[in-house]
Amino acid sequence: MGVISAIGNDVSSSLSLLQAAKSGIGKAKHFNSKYTSSLNFGEVDMSNEALSALVAQRTEHGNPASESGLSRTTLLAYLAFQEAINQAKLTSVDLMSMDTGFISSSTVGGMSNTDELYADANMKGEPSEFVTSYGGGEHTLRVIKKYGIKGFTSTINTACSSSANAIMLGSRLIKAGRAKRVIVGGADSLAKYTVNGFNALMILSENPCKPFDTTRDGLTLGEGAGYLVLEGESTCKDKIKLAEVAGYGNSNDAFHPSATSDEAFGPRLAMQRALASSGLQSTEIDYINAHGTGTPNNDVTEMFAFNETFDSIPPYNSTKSYTGHTLAAAGSIEAIFSILSLRNNELYASLNCASPISDYGTRPIDKKTAKELKHVMSNSFGFGGNCTSIILSKS
Amino acid sequence: MYITDLKAISPQLTYDNELLEGKKTTHEDQVYNVIEPDYMEFIPKGLLRRMGRAIRMGVGAGLPLVKAHSDIDAVVIGTANGGLEDCIKFLNQIVEYDEGVLTPTNFVQSTPNAVAGQLALMGQNRGYNTTYTNGGLAFENAVLDAWLLFRENAVDKLLLGGIEEISDYNYNIDSLAGHYKNEIVNDEDLLSSTTKGTVCGEGASLFVLEKAPAEYYAKIEDVEQITYPTELEFDDCLELLLSRNNLQVDDIDTIMLGYNGDSRHTPWYTHLEEHLIPNANVLSFKNLSGDYRTCSAFATWLSAHLLNGEKAFLPHIELRKKHEKEISRILIYNHFDEVRHGFILLSK
Repeated sequence: MGVISAIGNDVSSSLSLLQAAKSGIGKAKHFNSKYTSSLNFGEVDMSNEALSALVAQRTEHGNPASESGLSRTTLLAYLAFQEAINQAKLTSVDLMSMDTGFISSSTVGGMSNTDELYADANMKGEPSEFVTSYGGGEHTLRVIKKYGIKGFTSTINTACSSSANAIMLGSRLIKAGRAKRVIVGGADSLAKYTVNGFNALMILSENPCKPFDTTRDGLTLGEGAGYLVLEGESTCKDKIKLAEVAGYGNSNDAFHPSATSDEAFGPRLAMQRALASSGLQSTEIDYINAHGTGTPNNDVTEMFAFNETFDSIPPYNSTKSYTGHTLAAAGSIEAIFSILSLRNNELYASLNCASPISDYGTRPIDKKTAKELKHVMSNSFGFGGNCTSIILSKS
Repeated sequence: MYITDLKAISPQLTYDNELLEGKKTTHEDQVYNVIEPDYMEFIPKGLLRRMGRAIRMGVGAGLPLVKAHSDIDAVVIGTANGGLEDCIKFLNQIVEYDEGVLTPTNFVQSTPNAVAGQLALMGQNRGYNTTYTNGGLAFENAVLDAWLLFRENAVDKLLLGGIEEISDYNYNIDSLAGHYKNEIVNDEDLLSSTTKGTVCGEGASLFVLEKAPAEYYAKIEDVEQITYPTELEFDDCLELLLSRNNLQVDDIDTIMLGYNGDSRHTPWYTHLEEHLIPNANVLSFKNLSGDYRTCSAFATWLSAHLLNGEKAFLPHIELRKKHEKEISRILIYNHFDEVRHGFILLSK
């Protein structure tokens, strides 16, 4: 697996910050928007030039800065993708095989170049270098080209549940025998587009987000990328198995384009379907990496859904308190953090929760805690009512 | 999986199936806009006013199906760009009001999964719901997901769709990128054009698929895809599709190809019909729909009707006739930009 977010450029640096309960949220240094002075962000603390240099250092493909129309979303994708295939020891022959798939996801994609898109869409002047790079699947296509991937490839956009759905689809492809290995995940970068969108919906907090706190007042936007290499039993015999994708479930809440129903139909069904597909009882879930955005609506409905799904709510946190909400990348980044908990038998503190929602006699994990973990759940809920839950187990 | 019901909004009179009687609508511009039905008959006025073009088309074609089939278990949509008009409208607000106080409607509507979400909401469908945005393979991705769902016994019936809108903005962007012709070519002459570029189309084609129905239009057998192939890899990809389905080349009696009048795109189609499947009858579809990233959904709509024995419109799309046999198996092959190539295999 490979990850880049506000708490680090790779898996090991991310783990250190999770263990130290140190958030990556703060004032943005590289992102350019009117809101950088008033709002906090989960920014990857590197310029595009520095990201390009890191790609050159990590890969055998040279410095991508010379690629025309290269977006920050793609740079983040390159870095997490390379780390993931390194860890899984995939060769270029593996990557080019017809039974290797790649499923990515993004909400902003190349639209992170908001000002260029404005000029091109309104035909103001000569075409910019980004004119073919605005599509949501652009970063996917660039990874495909760089690594010569020939098998099944896809880009999913179900908003904030996108990369959780990528994990689900990748697992299903392997189970059905349509692929032997699939690299799954997502990438999103900070963009004026999403900042202004969430701001117009009045669900951005001025402060670092406070998931599950009674005084929470909105989410913090973040950026990043996360990829996982999924392989069937037959191809990963001699490899270190980091975890097993034990179950997954998806449901549409069928209530509102940008809010969850009070009854939390979608979140409940997603978790129930994930449990059913894993064959596990709800009592066997040892930890939940919650969607936990810090909006008034999400956290109260997600808590309600926990209470309906579990006799006793397992320990839970929101790692968005470290990274901000990384949108399409959130599902895969949080699956990676869940695997870090699973492998280290550690639960990490949920930050910024001084006065927790107390309706169900529980509170998010307040400090790093040692606990033997077997099965963990990760939730991702998105606009358009899209709800996905993934269960990861020790392999 | 079998197509048991279908609905298309396209640049032809497909909504009420007049095209099926042979009535073709002529297009003589670079842009082939859809002929929209009277949505007010089934979408509440207040809701309709807020819907962007892609959502209006997707819901317009999908809602009658959702209403007629209350037992749909899943909604699977492919749309490369979703509501791009709303997207750019919101973007224009951001720039023109210098990130000031903006209204969120366009933002929410611009999410590509807004169509799948809206169909779930209006049909109160809490089943599996997803949206693929993978450029010229967005619909093929959705077909594979549907194929998996049936194979997993996860569904008995689902809604599948491919949707794309034309807005001034995406026309501008793709135009700057060189996708469209500089000169005006009418639809009769489009496919024989030898210049660069094509014409811009749009549409929403939605399908109800079932596992084992008594009656149906057509069977979707399989789907395959490849990205950035060499010619050899392309040939191997087709061979993989055929061998997986235990088929020989001559088992395919009809090929429906994405010929679009763009001299750069033609060689891939010519290669397939001359060297790989030389004995099949050759059909087109983009002279009816224009070109867009999910137009293979419209080709699927045409193919389903042909396999159901509805042939009055056949003369409008017949390119080369190699035999007199009945249509029993159709291979759709399409690429939008020579990069992503998709195959959809249907049979009687």
